[in-house]
Amino acid sequence: MTPHRPLFAVLLGASALVMLTGAADTTPKPVPIDMPLANKGQAVYARFCVSCHGELGDGRGYSAQWLEPRPRDFTSGVFKCRSTPSGTLPVNEDLLRTINVGVFHTYMPPWAVLGEPSLRAVIEYIKTFSPKWKEEAPGTPIVIPPEPADDEASRKRGAVVWKNNQCEKCHGPQGKGDGASVPTLRDDWGFPDAPFNFVASPNRKCGNTNSDLYRTFMTGVNGSPMPSFADSISPQEAWDLVHYILTLRQPAGSEYNIAEHF
Amino acid sequence: MRRGGLLVAVLVAVGGVLLPTSARAIPAFARKYGVACSTCHTNWPRLNQFGVNFRDNGYRMNRERDNPVTQPGTYWPLAFRTTVGYQYLANTDVPVQVTPSNPNGLATTQTGTFGFTGLDILTAGTLGEQINFLVVYTPGLASSGFMTAPSLDGSDLESAWVGFTRLFGTPFLNVRVGKSSPDLPVDEHRSYWLTVAHQIYFFQAQGTAVTYNPGDNQAGVEIYGHDELSNLRYQVQIANEGGQSLFSANVISDPVVWAHLQYFMLTGGDILASFSPGVFGATGWQPAKFLNDPTGTTQVSGTGYSMQNYYRIGGELHFQFLSAVNPLTLDGVVMFGSDGGGLINGGVNADGTPTQRANWMGGFAELTWTPSINWTFGFMYQRIATLQQGSTDFSHAEGDFTAWSLLVRYYVELSSRAGVAFHGEFSQASTTTAGLPPGVGPPQGTTLLLAVDFAY
Repeated sequence: MTPHRPLFAVLLGASALVMLTGAADTTPKPVPIDMPLANKGQAVYARFCVSCHGELGDGRGYSAQWLEPRPRDFTSGVFKCRSTPSGTLPVNEDLLRTINVGVFHTYMPPWAVLGEPSLRAVIEYIKTFSPKWKEEAPGTPIVIPPEPADDEASRKRGAVVWKNNQCEKCHGPQGKGDGASVPTLRDDWGFPDAPFNFVASPNRKCGNTNSDLYRTFMTGVNGSPMPSFADSISPQEAWDLVHYILTLRQPAGSEYNIAEHF
Repeated sequence: MRRGGLLVAVLVAVGGVLLPTSARAIPAFARKYGVACSTCHTNWPRLNQFGVNFRDNGYRMNRERDNPVTQPGTYWPLAFRTTVGYQYLANTDVPVQVTPSNPNGLATTQTGTFGFTGLDILTAGTLGEQINFLVVYTPGLASSGFMTAPSLDGSDLESAWVGFTRLFGTPFLNVRVGKSSPDLPVDEHRSYWLTVAHQIYFFQAQGTAVTYNPGDNQAGVEIYGHDELSNLRYQVQIANEGGQSLFSANVISDPVVWAHLQYFMLTGGDILASFSPGVFGATGWQPAKFLNDPTGTTQVSGTGYSMQNYYRIGGELHFQFLSAVNPLTLDGVVMFGSDGGGLINGGVNADGTPTQRANWMGGFAELTWTPSINWTFGFMYQRIATLQQGSTDFSHAEGDFTAWSLLVRYYVELSSRAGVAFHGEFSQASTTTAGLPPGVGPPQGTTLLLAVDFAY
C-alpha cells in the first residue's frame, strides 16, 4: 500500500478543495443575459417604452415629467411586482406578467397585444440597463399555499392581522389609502408614493387575484414603503388578511365622494 | 363620348384619385397617456395592432386612467393635422379647343403649386366609463389647397359619433351612432398615401346612380366587436347611402349594410411575423322610380319605389414580414362589385333597350416597409376592370382604372406631443375613357408631392 500513499494524499487534498469551494459557492449564479434576444427587444423598447422609461432606462423619458406615478427606473434593478422575496430580482415570469397586464392606476398599459415573443425580448433588453442582473441571480419565487375558505372567521382573523401589523397607518382605518403616514411616504427615488385605496378599486397594481394579493404581502413592493410581511405573519394569517381586505371594497357607485378624486 | 363628358371624365376619373385625402392621427391621445406616436401607429397615421386594440376598446387603455375625471381639468382632447409643401400634377389627353395644329383637341396639362392638402381638426376620447366619441371637422379649402384639384371649398363634419363599449360586459358587443367609418381592410383614413386613394373603395360603374363609397364615412349605426386583443374583429354598419339627395319611401331611406370580419395572428416567426385574412362586403338598395311633383318635371324625394339592389363583396390578406414591430407589410385586397340594371342610366339604354347589371372587379396590393420608427417606404399597385357594362352606351373597358404609387416618409419628430414627417410621393394613374381618337389614351395623371406632414 505504501507506493500509493502519495496518490491517496493528492486525491484527498483535491477532494477537500472541491468540497470547500463547492460548499462556499451555494449562492445562485446570475443568469446571463440573452444578448441576441435583447437586441430584438431593443426595437420593441424603442417603439413602445422609450417615451416613458427613457433611452437609458432610467425612467426619465420625455413624457416622464408629466406622469404620476413616475415610470420605473430600470437602472436600479428594483422591481415592485415580484414573486421573489423582498430585495431580490424578479424572475422573467414576474416581468412578463407586469408587461402583459400593465399596471392599474398608472400609465403603464397592457402590452399583451404585442405577443409573448416581443415581450420576452424586451424583458431581456431591460436587463441590460442595470449591472445588478450581471451580479445577482433572480430570487426564488415564494410558494403560495392553497387558499383556505373565505369565511367570516377568516375575515375576522384578518382584521386582527390588519390591526396588529398597523396597516392602517398607511392604508387608513377603512383602507382608503389615507393613513396618517401618507404625507411622509416616499419611494426609493424620493417621489410621493400613495398607499393603495382598497375601497375605491378592485384593480390592484400587482394583480387582481387573491393569490396576487397574498404574494404582495409576502414579498413586499420593492422600492416602495410597502414592506414584506413574510417574517412577521404566517401563511394562514396572510390568507386571512386577503379575505379581510376584500371586504373593504365598496360596490362601484356607492358612497362615491368626488372630492376624494381631486 | 361627348367632349364635355370627356373633360369631366378626365378630371373626375384621373383627378379624382389624386384628390388630397383626409387622414387621421390623434396626438391628443399621445398627450393623454404620455406615449409616443409609435405606440399606436406603425408609423402615423397607420395603426398597428396596439392602436387597433386601443381604438376597439373605445380609446381606452383600461387601467383606470381613461375617463375624463381622471385627467387634469386643463386637458382637452384636441388635435389637428395638415400637410404643406409642393405638388406637381400633370394630365394627358385633356380636351381643349380644336385648332389646325391640334386637330384632336387634346393637350397635356401640368401644374406645380405650393399649398397644403387639407386640414383635419379632431377631438376624440372618452366621455365616461363605457362611452367614447370622435368628431372630425374638415374646413373647406376654398381657393387654398394646391389649387390643382377639383373644388374642395365645402366644409364637412367628416366624422361625428358617440360609441358605447362593452355592452353586457363583453368586448364583442359595442355600438357607435353617428357618422363613422366602415371598418375597411386597409383603413382609408389612416393611410400613408396623401395624393392617392385606395380607389376600390370609391369606384363606381359607368352610368350608375349608386353613390355609396365604402371609403367615405357613413351616417348610421355601427355594431362591432372583438376579442380582448382584437385578434378577431367584426363590424356591421347600417347606414343611408351617402351622397344621395333623393330617397325611397321606406323607414330607412336607401339603406346600405356594410360588414367586415377580420382575424389577426402573430406567428412569432422571424420571417413571417403575422398574417391576417378577412372578408367584407356591402349590400344596398336604391329606388329606381319616383313620383314627380305637380309640374311633372321634378322627382320628389321620399317617394322612391321599385328598389334595386347593388352589392360589393371582397377578401383581404395582410402579411407582416421580418417583425411585427418594424414590419415589411404586404396588403392585398380584392373586391367584386355589382349594380342592378335599373340603377344604370335610368334602366334604359340610348337605343331604348333595358340595361343590365354592371359588374366589375378590382383591388390593390400595397407594400410598406418600416425599417425603424423614423422611416416608411411604400409601393402600391391598383387595378379595377369592368366585367360587364350595365349599358350598351359604354364601351367594354370604359372606366377601367390602373395606378401605381411610391412614397417615402421620414419622421423627424415623434413624441408624446406632436409628430412631423417629411413626405415624398409619386403616383401615376390612368382611366380608360371613350371618345378618344384611335391610338390615343388612356388619359394619364401624374402627381408628385413633396411636403411636410405634421400633427399636434
